[in-house]
Amino acid sequence: MARLARTVALALALLLTVPLVGAPPAVAVDDVKIALVAPLSGRWARQGQLKKMGAEMAIEEINSQGGIKALGGAKIVLREADAGDSVEKAVSAAQRVLTREKISAGIGSWLSSFTLGVTEVSERLQVPWLTLSYADSITERGFKYTFQTSPVSSAQAEQALDLVVDLAKRNNQPIRKAALVGDNTAATVFFFKPLREKLLQAKGIELVVDEVWTPPLADATSIVQKIRATQPDIVFYGATNFPDSIQVLQKVKEFGVKTHIQGVGAWLVTPEYVKTVGKELLDNIQSVVAAHPVKGQEEMVKKFVQRTGEPFMTQDPLCTYAHVWLIKEAIEQAKSADPKAIRDALAKIDLTTGPAASTLYPGRIRFDERGRRIGAVPLIVQWQNGEPFTVVPANLATRPVVWHK
Amino acid sequence: MTSRRWRGWVAIGAVVGLGLVLSFTLTERYHHRVLTLVFLWATMGLAWNIISGYAGQISFGHQAFFGIGAYVTVILAAKFHLTPWLGMLAGAGVAVLAAVLIGMPTFRLAGIYFGLATLAYPLIFRIVMEFLGYQEVAIPMVREQPGLFMQFSDPRHFDLLALAILAATLVLSRLVETSRLGYSLRAIKENEQAAEAMGVDSFRCKMIAYMLSAAPAAVVGAVYAHAILFVVTPDAVFGVLVIVQTLTVCLVGGAGTLWGPLIGAAIMIPVSEILDTTVGDRLPGIQGVVYGAALMAVMMYAPEGLYWRVRNTLLARRAASDEPIRPAPVPAAAGPAAATAPAAPGTVLMDVRGVSKAFLGLQALSDVSFDVREGEILGIIGPNGAGKTTLFNVLNGFLLPEGGDVRWLGKSITGLQPHVICRRGVGRTFQVMRLFPRLTVLENVMVGAFAHGGSPDHARARARTALEMVGLVGRADAVPTGLTTLELRLMELARCLVTSPKLLLLDEPLAGLSAEGVELMSAMIRRARASGATVAIIEHTIQALVKLADRLVVLDQGRRLAEGRPGDVTRNPAVIEAYLGKRWLARHGATHAEDLRA
Amino acid sequence: MVASELTQYVVTGLLVGGVYALMSIGLALIFGVMRVVNFAQGDFMMLGMYLTYYYAVGLGIDPLLGALFTIPPFFVIGLLVHRAFLARVTGGGDPNREMDAQLILTLGMSLIITNATTMILSPTPRGIRTAYATQAFAVGPLLLNQARSYAFAMALLLAAAVYVFLTRTDLGRALRAAADDPEAASYQAINVRAMHGVAFGVGIALVAAAGGLLATYYPIEPTVAVNFIVLMFVAVVLGGLGSIPGAFVGGIAIGLVQSLTLLVLPLQLQNVGVFVAFLVVLYVRPQGLFGRRARTV
Repeated sequence: MARLARTVALALALLLTVPLVGAPPAVAVDDVKIALVAPLSGRWARQGQLKKMGAEMAIEEINSQGGIKALGGAKIVLREADAGDSVEKAVSAAQRVLTREKISAGIGSWLSSFTLGVTEVSERLQVPWLTLSYADSITERGFKYTFQTSPVSSAQAEQALDLVVDLAKRNNQPIRKAALVGDNTAATVFFFKPLREKLLQAKGIELVVDEVWTPPLADATSIVQKIRATQPDIVFYGATNFPDSIQVLQKVKEFGVKTHIQGVGAWLVTPEYVKTVGKELLDNIQSVVAAHPVKGQEEMVKKFVQRTGEPFMTQDPLCTYAHVWLIKEAIEQAKSADPKAIRDALAKIDLTTGPAASTLYPGRIRFDERGRRIGAVPLIVQWQNGEPFTVVPANLATRPVVWHK
Repeated sequence: MTSRRWRGWVAIGAVVGLGLVLSFTLTERYHHRVLTLVFLWATMGLAWNIISGYAGQISFGHQAFFGIGAYVTVILAAKFHLTPWLGMLAGAGVAVLAAVLIGMPTFRLAGIYFGLATLAYPLIFRIVMEFLGYQEVAIPMVREQPGLFMQFSDPRHFDLLALAILAATLVLSRLVETSRLGYSLRAIKENEQAAEAMGVDSFRCKMIAYMLSAAPAAVVGAVYAHAILFVVTPDAVFGVLVIVQTLTVCLVGGAGTLWGPLIGAAIMIPVSEILDTTVGDRLPGIQGVVYGAALMAVMMYAPEGLYWRVRNTLLARRAASDEPIRPAPVPAAAGPAAATAPAAPGTVLMDVRGVSKAFLGLQALSDVSFDVREGEILGIIGPNGAGKTTLFNVLNGFLLPEGGDVRWLGKSITGLQPHVICRRGVGRTFQVMRLFPRLTVLENVMVGAFAHGGSPDHARARARTALEMVGLVGRADAVPTGLTTLELRLMELARCLVTSPKLLLLDEPLAGLSAEGVELMSAMIRRARASGATVAIIEHTIQALVKLADRLVVLDQGRRLAEGRPGDVTRNPAVIEAYLGKRWLARHGATHAEDLRA
Repeated sequence: MVASELTQYVVTGLLVGGVYALMSIGLALIFGVMRVVNFAQGDFMMLGMYLTYYYAVGLGIDPLLGALFTIPPFFVIGLLVHRAFLARVTGGGDPNREMDAQLILTLGMSLIITNATTMILSPTPRGIRTAYATQAFAVGPLLLNQARSYAFAMALLLAAAVYVFLTRTDLGRALRAAADDPEAASYQAINVRAMHGVAFGVGIALVAAAGGLLATYYPIEPTVAVNFIVLMFVAVVLGGLGSIPGAFVGGIAIGLVQSLTLLVLPLQLQNVGVFVAFLVVLYVRPQGLFGRRARTV
């Protein structure tokens, strides 16, 4: 009984020290606070951590270059909130961080369902919100405070298809048969839908394999068997659950299937793939992404690699980096840290210079009345020798594309 | 209403009042969200409690109803512009229907099989919803008359809505608790077979409880979608996290009582949010570790739940300060003891014809036939493994015989459910006592009193009378664990008597009693016969029955070996051989009953 | 459908099921002896995967062997965890009451293990690079993935070893006695509490080994358990709670059902096939495939 009492006392003591540990550090009154709501624990912690890395690098750059000039050199401070692994926790995180202090703008939350929930809060609390999520639904709600910098999935489908068909033709390997292989998460669903319904047909491409699974995938044999049997020229591939994506790639190698894999999303170009399946397996696999380091950003990438120890920089930290810089620009133009003023500045911004614009291809940042970035076009990234390089568009490519079957 | 009952309602009122006070005093948006979460999860816990706490049918699939409520409401609003205020009623209706469809096949499963089977349904729903394209249903923001669509700009309105649902579910829980259904459910939870034998239609009770628990769960799901999520995903409403939260809230607080989920939610949800707020953002993951540790600490300290733990501690302390419990005097047998059987044999009440029952190759009963006549005390004896208890299990409906028929009052009762047989007038006690351990003595007997309907007050009065008859009324509010074997057997007898049986099937009621106890029980049994019941008693030893029984039926290895007056039967060589063996018989010959001390 | 295609589906299902089977035996043993529904079972599997990973990158031990080497340390961990936490809320003789407590207890353990691992080892997924993960044995027209085949074989061996342990050794018999009838077992001078500890230890060790085998072709991350925990429970219940051969057969059955479901349902509904089959089996045989009928009066 005494032992139990001691255990309980210990547990209570632990609980009581928590507020002490958790007290946020002192902050100067006129610092500008930017919220980052992303999964920092649980299943998607890795993605949230990557986002945080990008944000922190941008903030450190901005602050060391003199802060926000229009506000007399005010520094930017990051307020991260853990979205955890459920919509409830993500929305709670947004509520928490946006009501605790005066937040000028926010970024997040990677998973489109989280983003949808979080932006409901930011819309009601009238705080401008930037997201890299692809799902069309995010900017189809008539919201005024949500800004989506990535091209939306349905647009990506059309644009990517054009780019890929063009590439294939130029390499004398025209695409006649295509496969759609992916999970039923929103981004993938939104990408595949127009392909399946009209785009492939319009280009005279036959859809020979259409395999969608509910994560987690038990075994990829049936999928790859079908690919082997029908021999498509291209496989559009969308598998956001890491173990699922590994299984399909491994099975493709095992069955000796030779086809062109075109990923849909930046999940396919993260460093863990190299360590898990090896660079030979990944060679020449491509993916359609919203952002990736392009020609001219080598310095930034080097800095990132040195800071974080990551082998290379990918979409998630890159977009968050761009978002922070974009917010900074908006504040400069609004000459105020007031969320509403920042929102108005973002709504009419037309940015062509600076780190934000150079990161978000094609280099000009304007938003339409829905909050979508006008002219947003995806990039194509390709694994070469264990590292993903931008290959399309050619003028911004960091390596020339390699196309073979 | 008794003062105890008043107290219950007042307490509920106080809780709702406290909720109102909190809702009006809190100012921060985020705090309102936490309060809403507390109310919502407490309500979900209360809903779960109705089937899993009261009835003991632990469900791992309650999120099925939660998700149905959420999706039906949101889809009706998105596609048909139906206001969620009506949509949630539709959701509740669909959930109740689902409860019936799920419950019907699944209640056949016992114990944890039921719980794990229920897990399959929300898993299926989740996959199907994703397949149908409902991965992310964002609730469209309504800017004109948002209140009509359950969208409030003032978070206080969500608290009040959630509080209203909580209050309604508290009232529902309390009504269930104090009704006949509540007693029946608790009896089912404690010992389903004994409950059946006392006339409780356990399938019907479970089904009603399940339906009553599905409706609030669906309403909670609907409000949760609007107040908390804003976007409905299959995982968020059909996922495992929902049932995990429900279980946490209920089991930490204590299942089987409406205070449990309230306490559990009031403690664990703020703890979780505080952890998120203070350390979770700065050191992500630590909040999970501390929360997990808190759960473990609570369970090690209070495995039965905080409510029960605190209650039992307080009760024990109060009892310790009371006067020491004096051993209850052996109850005096009131009234004349009618020792003699009616001269003429009465009408045949139960006719057992050629009953056979086999278990996996072992023939437990072979072609057993005898009858039970009105007003007699019939003894059924036989050595170990003779099939006596199996016979009783067939007679009162627990087992289905392979061959033969059992007729009661002229009609066949073979294959009828135990509770039906009980209501037709066949009562039963058990060889291994089947009590309802966490009900008081009075409540134990009350379960039997419900066999022929009536309100809880009526049942209570009849139970009290029965306890008076067996001399146990002084122990009415005690829990069975504190009683002696004699008192327990008397309680079981009272519980059986209160079902107003015409025939009592008593399975070894004298086992484990001292000579005094045997005398007393025998007197009780004679009294029961004197007041009009017929009795059939199984006993292993012949001694006691010889004095008590008018007739004996002897079973051996599943067959009826002999039948007749005690004196004749005990001199029957076949019977002696069965008990004591061939060699003994050869050596001593057929002598007196005293030798048959097996 | 060509016969060879059908056979490929069956073979794929068997190979997948083999590892499910090994995962489930541990859970079945723990439930059978202790009546504990161990929410944290998948997380111990995850820890086993990490240990196997460190054996592979740190000591160069092939994961098939590394999986075996997870057994001793995890047996000890299981004993300790049982002694420190579970023993306090179980083994008291009233399984109904204890069920509540140990559900939340193991849930708390699961939260601690997952979150602590994320914080200490980082959430970045890792993998063991084995050549045989992407190679297949060609048996006629069939392709049998090598990693899964080896894992299947090892799983069979381990399951057989468990079976022999339970039926032929004194300790195993004592375990089964404690499972069947704790009261009677204690009269036979069997320390039921100690048996619970052993059962938990063996159960954890088995699932850790299963994790090690899984790591030959599956990536390792702190939340990997979510992909398997439901299937584990379904396998155990399908086989008959508390039956070791039942859990094994249950695991194989799930793998088969998953694979064969694809013949009738679209890939997205693959697990619906599993859950529907699960329900059907339970309704036809409420005690599961190998379970014993609950005792009546």
